[in-house]
Amino acid sequence: MNLGGMLAIWRRDMLVMRRSIISELVAVIAYPLTLYLAFGIGMQGYIGLVEGVPYAIFIAPGLITMTAVNAAYNESVWSLWFHRRVQFTIESYRVTPISVSDIVVAKILSGFTHGLIKGLAVSIVIFMITSFRFPLIHLFQYLLFIIPGSAFFSCAGVICGTVMDKPETIGKVEAVIVMPLIFMSGLFSPLSSYPERVLPLVRLLPTTPLFEGARVALVKGEFLMPGMIQISIYAVLLFITAVFVFKKRMSE
Amino acid sequence: MIKAISTKSLEKRYGNSFTALSDFNLEVEKGSIFALLGPNGAGKTTLIRILTTLMRQSSGEALVEGFDTRFHGREIRSLTGVVPQENSLDRYLTARENLELHGRLHGMPAPVLRAKIDELLELMGLAGRRNDFPDTFSGGMQRRLVIARALLHEPKLLFLDEPTTGLDPQSRRAVWEYIRSIAGSMTIFLTTHYLEEAEHLCDRIAIMDHGRMIAQGTTHELKKPLTGGTTYEVEFESDASAFFDLVKKMNCVKGFSFEGNTALFRLESWECLSELASGLSGAPVRRISLRERTLEDVFIAFTGSGVRE
Ligand SMILES: Nc1ncnc2c1ncn2[C@@H]1O[C@H](COP(=O)(O)OP(=O)(O)O)[C@@H](O)[C@H]1O
Ligand SMILES: [Mg+2]
Repeated sequence: MNLGGMLAIWRRDMLVMRRSIISELVAVIAYPLTLYLAFGIGMQGYIGLVEGVPYAIFIAPGLITMTAVNAAYNESVWSLWFHRRVQFTIESYRVTPISVSDIVVAKILSGFTHGLIKGLAVSIVIFMITSFRFPLIHLFQYLLFIIPGSAFFSCAGVICGTVMDKPETIGKVEAVIVMPLIFMSGLFSPLSSYPERVLPLVRLLPTTPLFEGARVALVKGEFLMPGMIQISIYAVLLFITAVFVFKKRMSE
Repeated sequence: MIKAISTKSLEKRYGNSFTALSDFNLEVEKGSIFALLGPNGAGKTTLIRILTTLMRQSSGEALVEGFDTRFHGREIRSLTGVVPQENSLDRYLTARENLELHGRLHGMPAPVLRAKIDELLELMGLAGRRNDFPDTFSGGMQRRLVIARALLHEPKLLFLDEPTTGLDPQSRRAVWEYIRSIAGSMTIFLTTHYLEEAEHLCDRIAIMDHGRMIAQGTTHELKKPLTGGTTYEVEFESDASAFFDLVKKMNCVKGFSFEGNTALFRLESWECLSELASGLSGAPVRRISLRERTLEDVFIAFTGSGVRE
C-alpha cells in the first residue's frame, strides 16, 4: 500500500471535478429533480400517504440515494474506461513505483467521493424546495447506508470500466442492469407492493437493503441493522472482486 | 559490472500461436545511447513493455539495472523513466499538473518536485506553456512534455518508444536536440523505425524484425560488412547507358547500373576514382558524388528487403 500515491490519484480526480463542478452538478441534479417534481409533487394529491408519509417525502431519500450511487457508478466506469482506453493514463501510473492495487483503490475512492458529493447536492436542493425536515441523527444513520452503497456502486463501475472496451457496452449495462436495480429496490413504490413469492428474491438485490434502509433512516429515524450489514458485505465482496479483476486485466 | 539492460532467451507469445519476441538476447551498457531498430510489428514495443514491467514475458529472463523484471517491478520502476509510443498525457491537467502528479506517484517531496518541474519545463522549452492543457500543444511539444515527465524523478535509465514517429522534420530535430542534451547522465534506450534517427543519436544499434535480433553493433560495425568498395553516383548530360562501353573494360569498376541519366559505379576502393574520371574524360559528366552507405543498406543486407513502413 502506497498511501501517498493513492492520494495523488484521488487528488487529481478531485481537482478535475472541482474545475467543472457547476456544470456537473446541474447535470446531476436535473434528473432526480425532474422525477421529484413530476412524481413527488405532481402525483402527490393522487397518491396520498405511503407507509404513513406523504409520497413526496417517501421518494425523496430514494432519489438522493439514486443520485449518489449513480454518480459513483458513472464516475468509476467512465473514468476507468477513459484512462485505460483513451488517454492511456493508467499506463503512465503503472510505470511509477505505485502498485496496481493502489491505482484501483484510488479510483474506487474517487467514484465514491463523487457519489457522496452529488448525493449531498441533490439532498440540499430537495430540502430547499420542500418542508421536509429531520433531526441530524437521522442524517448520520442515513450516511451509514449511503457510504457502503456508494462504495458498492463505485466498485461495480470500476469492474465494468476495466472489462469493457467499448463505450456502447457501458451504456447498455447501465440501461439493462444499473437502472433496473435501482428502480426495483422500492424507490417509487413500497416493497409491500411486490408479491409475497418474489419478495425474498428482491431482498437479495444489493439495492433493496440500501434504498429501504436509507429511507427508513431518514424519514423515520429507524436503523435497519441487518440491511446495513448486508450492503456492507456486498460492498466488501465487490471491492475484493474489483481489485482482483483490475489486477488480472493489467497483467494481460 | 552490472548492465543497464540484459535479457536472456527472452520470449513473448500472444495467445497460443503468435510469437512476438523470440530467443531475444540483448545487453545494453550503462551510460550509452542504444537504439533498437525495426519496422512496425517487429516487437519493439513488446520488449519495452516487458522491460518496464507493464507486461510479463512468456519465458526467459530480463534484468534492468540488475533487477529481475518478474520480481522487482517496484525497484525497476523507480529507476526508470518511460516515454511510451502513445503520449498518455492527462488532457484535464495542465502541463505543470501532469508533472506534479507524476512526481507525487514517485514519492518526490514537494519542494524538490517544484524545483525539478521548473528546471525541466525550461530545458524542454515549455516554460511559457506550463499552465496550458496539453491538447493545445503541437505534437512535438506534447512529446517533449512526455519526455520531461519521464525525466522528473531523475531515472538512471530512460526508455523512449518511437520518440519522433509522426512528427514533422523540424519537431523531430528539436526532439533529437533535447535527447542529446540529456545524454551522458543516464542510459537511453530508444526504439525507432527511422534509420536516420538511430544513426544520428546512438552509440550502439540493434536491428530486429519478426521478434528476432538480426544484428547489433556500432553504426560503424554494422556498416562494415558492406564496405566491400565504395559507390559513386555519376550524372550525365544525356542517357547514361550510352557511356557503358567507356567503363566496361576498367578493372577497378566492380559493378554498375544505369537509370535515366544517372549511373551507379561500385569501385574496389576510392583510389579508383581518378581512373574512372579519366576513363570518362570527354563524356558530358555533370556531377560525381559519393553515395554513403546508410543503415537502410544495412537493413536490406541483413533482412533481404527494405524497411516496411
Ligand atoms: N496485445 C497484443 N495481442 C496480440 N498481439 C499483439 C499484441 N500487442 C502486439 N501484438 C503483435 O505483436 C507484434 C509486435 O508488436 P509490437 O511489439 O507492438 O511491434 P513494434 O512496436 O515493433 O511495432 C505485432 O505483430 C503485433 O500485432
Ligand atoms: Mg511499437
